[in-house]
Amino acid sequence: MKNLLLGAVAYDPKVVTIWEGMRTYFREEAKLPIEIVLFLSYEAQVQALLDNVVDIGWNTNLAYVQASAWSHESCAPLAMRDTDLVWNSVLIAPKGGAIQSLADVKGRRIALGSRDSGHAAILPVHYLAKAGLVEGTDYQATRFNTDLGKHGDTGTSEADVLRAVMNGDVDAGMVGTPFWHGIQEKNLVPAGSIEAVWTSPAYPHCMFTARQGLEQDTKSAFVKALLDMKWENPKHRPILEAEGLKEWVLPQLDGYASLREACTQQGFFERR
Amino acid sequence: MLRQAVAVQVPKADLTFASGLLLELHQAIRATPKGATFSVHLKDQFALAELERWSSLTGNALVEVQSSEAHGVVVAIRNGALPASEREAERPIGSRVWFYTNFDCNLACDYCCVRSSPKTARNALGVGEVSAILAELRLVAQTQEIFLTGGEPFLLEDIAALALTAAEHAPTTILTNGMLFAGRRRSALESLPRDRVALQVSLDSPDAGLHDLHRGAGSFEKARAGIRIARDLGFRVRLAATVSTDVDEQRFRDFLDAEQIPPEDRVVRRVALRGFAEAGLALVRADLVPEITFTGRGVYYHPVGATDDDFLVSTALRPVADIVRKLTELRERDAVHRNSLAEVFHCA
Repeated sequence: MKNLLLGAVAYDPKVVTIWEGMRTYFREEAKLPIEIVLFLSYEAQVQALLDNVVDIGWNTNLAYVQASAWSHESCAPLAMRDTDLVWNSVLIAPKGGAIQSLADVKGRRIALGSRDSGHAAILPVHYLAKAGLVEGTDYQATRFNTDLGKHGDTGTSEADVLRAVMNGDVDAGMVGTPFWHGIQEKNLVPAGSIEAVWTSPAYPHCMFTARQGLEQDTKSAFVKALLDMKWENPKHRPILEAEGLKEWVLPQLDGYASLREACTQQGFFERR
Repeated sequence: MLRQAVAVQVPKADLTFASGLLLELHQAIRATPKGATFSVHLKDQFALAELERWSSLTGNALVEVQSSEAHGVVVAIRNGALPASEREAERPIGSRVWFYTNFDCNLACDYCCVRSSPKTARNALGVGEVSAILAELRLVAQTQEIFLTGGEPFLLEDIAALALTAAEHAPTTILTNGMLFAGRRRSALESLPRDRVALQVSLDSPDAGLHDLHRGAGSFEKARAGIRIARDLGFRVRLAATVSTDVDEQRFRDFLDAEQIPPEDRVVRRVALRGFAEAGLALVRADLVPEITFTGRGVYYHPVGATDDDFLVSTALRPVADIVRKLTELRERDAVHRNSLAEVFHCA
């Protein structure tokens, strides 16, 4: 059987370990031979998907909606992690400081993550605009465009946002809920120093995306293999843990509307 | 009172992050020129631990901490990171090795990081142990420099044998106050090879007043005399100053310039908040590059904390391979902690 080519973005060395595990599972247990193609940017991965160079891409929410839009909906969603279903953006600010709500951003300076990060830039700017706050007019933004091409996967720009807030360079900053929960769980910020003063509506994150024309049987076999991975199975569990999920789930597409709207407004569907 | 000159004092006292310390820090940073320091008055040691977390996040260095029952916890904070000259460069574990040959000393300096004094128990390592350690070390590390320190190493009758043993392994520097170069101790000094053994003599100030204030009356003149003796005998002599303020540091550097001391023979460092010191640089393990430090009590992460439990690596001195492995693990663990912020969120 021909190898199914699966694209993933290597934003960290651990990505190799993760996909080694997935490759072994697919080949030895699911009997669906896959080979992994690693990219250094989502732009390159999406282009490879559009050009039929890879069969399936493990995409961020931005990469998924771009592939979908640019293929006129021919690139199909296949599956996502349970942990991809509910993400939020969070406005963090010093406790007792000038910003206690989204409306308080007016006239202030806030920090944003990489411009291609859905959770630390694109959706925050979108929700601020919905609240009547326009960047450059109603508030000033310090943008940390670090690790561009990784769509915020590395978390580096969110760490920059946090440092700017802690140093008083900005009045507040936007990060995603995984980062916000992580720094609290690991006690990385002094207790009681900052707080979440606003949380966005929920939106989904990553999505396995199939190239246009991929046979339905192949897509179904791939999805079945994912759904057959069980947290309780000691061979599957380390792979699932490393990938940050308990179970793979079928696509839930409603939540992508806000990102599509934001991408349209902010020019992320324009081909460069 | 802080020894640091501070540009701005945060007026509120007993601060914690829960009671608005972060906003006070922001105001102080805005009011303090880059590179200058400001001070805050904290509620307790818990607030200090939280402040250290803030410091590691933002890069603003905590340059002095004073803690007393009367005044609580007062901290001097630099607006910005320490200049590169005050930070340590990375070097392989085992490339620099320290032996605390003994802990007793003829002086009782008020900032001594290991609490040495004439009353301190000797806790000597001994030639046999040093020799055994070096034999094992040869197999697991490429040692470039060895330092023999104390206490005052020249109090030991076997200092010459210790130095010769070390010097066979790598170029060796003996840290001394330079006050004991007479009689049998001078003979011991004379017996050492000039091309393998150097001396590092402590001199805290260009004038007797400040030096004697820390180290005891008359110690300045005796140290100067010791430096002359060592130089006349053909030894390379490094001058080491432990200073408390920018002003003191600059005065000492001017003195070194006037004495035409080459850069490689100058050691100028800040008082560390360890041992006898009541104020100084608050150093945690993660701030430092590990330097294997053997003592009669065990092996430590760095010589600046060679009596402190938080720097203790092992109570056993050997096998040295295990010590090197433990140090490597500790350094990696600290590096992970430093990088943990970036690792909080990885999407996959």
